[in-house]
Amino acid sequence: MNNLSEFLKRNFHIFLFVILQIVCIIMISKSMKYTSFALHRVCQTIVAPINEAWYNVIRHFSLEAENEQLVQQNITLLNERDNAFTFKDDSVYTAVECDSNQRVKMRLYDYSYANIVYKTTEKTHNYIIIDKGRADGVTTDMAVLSAGGVCGVVSDVTEHFASIISLLHPDARISAKLLPSNQIGTVLWDGISARYAQLYDIPQHVPVSVGDSIVTSGYSNIFPKDILVGIVEDVHETGHSSFLTIKVRLATNFNNVNTVYLIRNIYTKEMDELKSNFKDE
Amino acid sequence: MNNAVSNILRFLLVILAQIFVFRYTHLFGCVSIYIFLLALLMLPFEIPRWIQYLIAFATGFIIDIFNVTYGINASACMLMVFVRPFLVVALNGRKTDDIVDKPLPGVKDFRWLLAYTVILVFIQQFAAIMIETFSFQHFWKTLLVILGNTILSSTVILCCEYLFVPVKKRN
Repeated sequence: MNNLSEFLKRNFHIFLFVILQIVCIIMISKSMKYTSFALHRVCQTIVAPINEAWYNVIRHFSLEAENEQLVQQNITLLNERDNAFTFKDDSVYTAVECDSNQRVKMRLYDYSYANIVYKTTEKTHNYIIIDKGRADGVTTDMAVLSAGGVCGVVSDVTEHFASIISLLHPDARISAKLLPSNQIGTVLWDGISARYAQLYDIPQHVPVSVGDSIVTSGYSNIFPKDILVGIVEDVHETGHSSFLTIKVRLATNFNNVNTVYLIRNIYTKEMDELKSNFKDE
Repeated sequence: MNNAVSNILRFLLVILAQIFVFRYTHLFGCVSIYIFLLALLMLPFEIPRWIQYLIAFATGFIIDIFNVTYGINASACMLMVFVRPFLVVALNGRKTDDIVDKPLPGVKDFRWLLAYTVILVFIQQFAAIMIETFSFQHFWKTLLVILGNTILSSTVILCCEYLFVPVKKRN
């Protein structure tokens, strides 16, 4: 008896080792089915909140790559939008030949993107400088969008950079359309707040209510149509003129823009040619 | 007592580092660092063996909970701790059973530590990854991952040992 207890005491660690290994083997075989493994559920109630909290920290390291992917995806989606095309499906021929999903379309606008390297928002003449230039195919008079909406127009291009007249500039006049009524007006910045601009040239008889959308008209050949410029914030009737003064909350928050989308009109040259003919007369 | 406190602190630190930092680092998409083995490698030999097994089991199991591989690391860590005394005897070239030397830089020379670390980490990784894959279908590819893990983990572990363990007896 004494011998046995002596033997057990001396080899206790081996027994423990074997027992723990058996426990491990049982756990491994049980964990083949996580859903019915009680230990898994118990452990996850403790571990899951830790993992989640820590993942929120870890995630910041990959935000830049994630953002890059999202920008790429946005470019693809923007390129697929209807307002990048002109449609020829109003002819009798195409209406007969093609079904509604295969409309004959011609690409008018092409999207790319750039990162902002310098910007101002508080001055009376505000500019933005982006990290793409002539080498990347940027030309003057390209339209510039932010994730929210209209941002500005490219004014000057060097080899690797370009400057943008932002919407917050007295020279930036955007031809815009008030949505339910389709009335054309002009958006101009009044130089006061970076969040607001004014919409002019809307006659008094047009019904306007707070919250109406203002989008680009598409008549300028710089901006495609139906891009959000802003939302009606306030409507005044000025006594001596027959036009309304509309305060617009801009769709772009210029204080936190980092990435902008550039829109190239593929047929600018042809359109400019026609325009130059107007001037000659 | 001071020794025990420093041991426990080392365990906590290394496990936290494994869970929060090294769990997310992967080289070439598959090779990772298992720094928590440092704590088991530096476990004093004076501790009774059955407590050593319990410690190894607990350590491996904590890592398992976070990796959702219940039992695998616990089993492998226990195997590593089980092999450890035999390896030390073999490396020391002595027939005696009493091992009182600490496996620390300063006490042991670099070549001893290198062999000790690499062999034990290899055993742990071999056991863990072989149980995890549970097939010999891609044996050489698996072995490559095991070797990669062993080399990377051993390097990091040895660097940590030489960085953080105060060397008194070197001169």
